Amino acid sequence: MSTMKIKVKEKNGIVKAKVLISHPMFTYIQAKKRSTEAKFITHITAKVEDKVVYSLSSSQFLSKNPLIKFKFHGKKAEVLNLTWKDSTGESVTESKKIK
Amino acid sequence: MNRRKFLTLSVVTAMTLPMVAMATDYRTLKPTAWTAKSVPDAVKGLYGDVDFIKSDDIALKMPKIASNGGAVPVRISSDIKAKSVALFQDSNPESAVAVWDVAEDGIIDYTLKLKLKKKKSGLDTKVVVVVEGVDGKFYTKSEKITVTTGGCEG
Repeated sequence: MSTMKIKVKEKNGIVKAKVLISHPMFTYIQAKKRSTEAKFITHITAKVEDKVVYSLSSSQFLSKNPLIKFKFHGKKAEVLNLTWKDSTGESVTESKKIK
Repeated sequence: MNRRKFLTLSVVTAMTLPMVAMATDYRTLKPTAWTAKSVPDAVKGLYGDVDFIKSDDIALKMPKIASNGGAVPVRISSDIKAKSVALFQDSNPESAVAVWDVAEDGIIDYTLKLKLKKKKSGLDTKVVVVVEGVDGKFYTKSEKITVTTGGCEG
C-alpha cells in the first residue's frame, strides 16, 4: 500500500510543497537480500492544470518513504496533481488543493 | 458518419494529450547515466563531454556528518536560470541520484532525502550538483560528507 501525504501552502505568489510518499524504495542490493524484486520510484511529476511545476527522475538511492520539498509560482485554490511511477510499473496520482 | 469521425478524433486527442503534458523522463532518455559507476561517467552519460564552471551561486545544504545514512537530507537552491539540475554522489554502487527538469519560471529549491552507503577506511563521500543553465553553460558545486552508518545495506 502506497500513499502520499501532501501539504501545499501559498504565500506571496510562491507555493511551498511538502510531499511524503510511503514507499519501500528497495535497491537492487536490498532486494537481493530479501529475495524480492527491486522496487523504487523512478519519476515524480507535479502538475497544476496541465502545467508541469516539478519533475524529478530519480534512482534507487532516495531514502525509504522519501520526503520531497519544492517551491513553484502558483495561486490559492488551484489543485496540485502529484504522480509517481516506480520501477515495477506501479503508478499513483493524488491531488490536493493549494491553501 | 459524423458520429464516427467525432469518436476517432476524441480517441486520438485523448491519446496524445497526456504525452504532451508529461515531463521529461531522464531515465528513458539517458539510460547510460543511471548505470554509470562513477560521477564523471554519470555526468558524461547525462550531458556528454562538457566543461564545468565551479559556482558559488548554487547552495548545497547538507549535514557534515550523517549518523544515519538511510536518510540524509540534501537541499539544493540556486538563482541560476536552468534547464535541468542533477545530483550525484560517489559512495553508492551507481552514481546518479536524481535529475530535475526545471520549468520555464521554475524555482530551484529542492529538498530530498537520500540513501548513502558507508565508505571503507573512513573516506568522505562527495556529493555533486550539476546545473544546466539556459545559456548552455554547466555549473557545478560539490560538498563532502562523512557517513558513520550506511543506509544502503539495510
